[in-house]
Amino acid sequence: MQQQENPGVRKSDSGKRMSRMLTSSYMNLHQKAKEDAFVVWIAIIVPAEIFLGFENVIYAVPESHAALSAGKGVGSLQSAKAEGMGYSMDLCSYARIDIGTAFDGGKDSPTFGLPRPHLLISNNNNCSLLVKWFDVYHREWEIPHFIMDVPFCYKPQKEKDLGYIMAQFRDLIKLIEKMSGQKFDIDRMRDGVAHTVEAVKQWKRFIGFAVHRPSGITAFDTFVQMAPFLTSRGTPELAEHYRLLADETAEKVTSGIFPVPNEKYRLIWDNIAPWHQLRKMSQRLAELKANIISASYTYCMGSLEGNFDPYEYDGADPLRYLARLQNFSVCPMGMELRSRAMRESIRRNAIDGAIFASNRSCKVYSVLQMDQQKRISEELGIPAVMIDFDHADDRKYSEAGTFLRIEALLENIERRRMEG
Amino acid sequence: MNHVNSIINKINRIKDSGEKVIGCFPLYPPLELFHSMDIIPVVLWGIDDVLAGVSESDKHLQNYVCSVARYLTEFVLTDGGRLLDGLFMYNACDTLRNLPEILECGLGEKDINVPLFNIHIPAMYTGQTDSSKYLQDEITGLVNKLEQEYGVSYSEKRFRESADLYREMRRLSLELDALASSGMIGFGDFSRIIHEGYVVPVDVQVESLKSWIKNCGSSPAGKKIPEDEHRVVVSGILPPPPSVCDIIEKSGFTVAGNDIASLYRSYRNHPEITGDAGKFYIDFYQNHFPCTTLLSTSDRRAKAIMNLIRERNARGFIFIGEKFCEYEYFEIPFIDKMLRNEGINTLLLEFSIDDNENIGGFGTRIESFAEVMSG
Repeated sequence: MQQQENPGVRKSDSGKRMSRMLTSSYMNLHQKAKEDAFVVWIAIIVPAEIFLGFENVIYAVPESHAALSAGKGVGSLQSAKAEGMGYSMDLCSYARIDIGTAFDGGKDSPTFGLPRPHLLISNNNNCSLLVKWFDVYHREWEIPHFIMDVPFCYKPQKEKDLGYIMAQFRDLIKLIEKMSGQKFDIDRMRDGVAHTVEAVKQWKRFIGFAVHRPSGITAFDTFVQMAPFLTSRGTPELAEHYRLLADETAEKVTSGIFPVPNEKYRLIWDNIAPWHQLRKMSQRLAELKANIISASYTYCMGSLEGNFDPYEYDGADPLRYLARLQNFSVCPMGMELRSRAMRESIRRNAIDGAIFASNRSCKVYSVLQMDQQKRISEELGIPAVMIDFDHADDRKYSEAGTFLRIEALLENIERRRMEG
Repeated sequence: MNHVNSIINKINRIKDSGEKVIGCFPLYPPLELFHSMDIIPVVLWGIDDVLAGVSESDKHLQNYVCSVARYLTEFVLTDGGRLLDGLFMYNACDTLRNLPEILECGLGEKDINVPLFNIHIPAMYTGQTDSSKYLQDEITGLVNKLEQEYGVSYSEKRFRESADLYREMRRLSLELDALASSGMIGFGDFSRIIHEGYVVPVDVQVESLKSWIKNCGSSPAGKKIPEDEHRVVVSGILPPPPSVCDIIEKSGFTVAGNDIASLYRSYRNHPEITGDAGKFYIDFYQNHFPCTTLLSTSDRRAKAIMNLIRERNARGFIFIGEKFCEYEYFEIPFIDKMLRNEGINTLLLEFSIDDNENIGGFGTRIESFAEVMSG
């Protein structure tokens, strides 16, 4: 017999463990920075495993910190600080939150901000405005900025591009050696890569429980649980956490515990998480017997260029693997590749309808969704809606407008069912 | 619609002469290369005030996309697609990089097949990994694809000749810019002349510039050159709409210089002439006048702007903000602060897709700015 959990974001054992991990990683960051560690700020897609090759290089991820801030309800507060400094409200809300936090000395941040960096490392394939965002600190604080130049992929990555990226990794390593006075040890990095590979494997196990009817997970679980992937990449703790998360989910499924036990509508979400709405949105969906069971934002982790399954590491050159992983997110790829992965998720997970969340703050994710929506609907015969939101600025979100559309989607699914 | 028709007519005229036409975006494509291979490049930028609406574009792009991309899409999906023999783009902002596939979708719905070419321009700071070989390979790859698609061929001699022509065009643009700076030609007219050059063959553009320079030189517009405190530099992705250029000048300003992407940033620098296209474009992109759209040039931008202001003896700076252009807006607070510290007055005007018909508010702000500058 199925047991009902409270709908919405569940504070499971894994949830509690994840909170502890996050708290600990942010506190360690501050502590080690005080103890003279070399601090880098990175874009989420910059391979953190490289820093594990050094004895005392630590990294912070402003995007992740901004998401956390939005989730904790201080997104618009921090954004407003940046707007007061002249940064337009039309700019990415992650950037505004981060700039607002950084120039206000970490005040109002759930993590007391981030320790000031010695080096900024952005990249331009996941999101090219990150280069501009990091340039703000580069200019204001006169801190070196290394731009990882990664060609965008309309088709799978070319060998020439791979070599180009690897050459930049090598130069980045040399730069950190020079700036930090520390020696890089490739074996330490190799260990980090192995932990990432294992973490990704366990992550895929976890999101695989969406296949079950009712689904063993919600996309909201995946949004929350992706956080340590950004802050603890390459660590054994991360791999172990995801193993326990997948085990715990398996146990729940076996015991008949599901996030939306009376699930009637299985949905997919396309875009960054609505950080300021996780609990509210998931609860309201559950009341409608709807579950967003898959999200392009989180199923892409560890997969490449339109594939749904993880990219396999052959155990050879770890830099090569990391260069390939530059495409593991959604945004470094064009519509054809993105659609391929989405089709696969829809088929595997028996999705009934799609929500394309058009995100004012993330043009790279959103500007192609209108065609992608058409393509997915036509090819797979499932209804889809587009909603308007902002991933971290709740001032640009309307719950009423969003649910009007989502309810229309559910009615559409229902009507199609009745028509057979 | 007259201007659109004029663009269409211009492209038709090129095609009537038997030439192939490739539409390019964003602003700094390898024009010389296309020209040298008998493909006439037209730059699809600054057509934002010439289309009646964006109904086709609205089927593909959200309303928070900048007007540059929306109008560009509108043009390609209405008239441009049938006219152009190819489309070329290189990596730019997060919006534009998605356009190739969107345009393919839109054109596909109309059963129009336009070959699309793209290259990646290295975007990293000086002192990082040497990207010369990468860019050289990209150019070689482009040459091969053009040869294959159009049955044309590359020659060093032809490339050098084309590069010579473009250098002349840039030199003349600078000369006309200097005339605009001294008030001999209105900034609105000047912008229009430069923009018209984007859709004609370069030799026609050269002749047009020569003619305008000659006319300006013999007719100094009969107006008094204003005092120094009324000299401003305008900056942005695009020049302000013609009506706003008029307001700026009627408010007593002279546009002493511009840091406009489709104007000064485009013609300020020119590489050494060489027959090696790869080498030419390494120089072209590495030493390009700083532009927000070229990530690798950001470090040099503040200094370049200050040099321009000093050189033109300007006392004010007007940001022409293109709404939703993140590349521009990220840099505005820093540049604004720097200029204020240097005693330069600044004004930010923001233009969105509907603002060309609604300029009253801009007039008030510009007039107030004039009062501030008059002290």
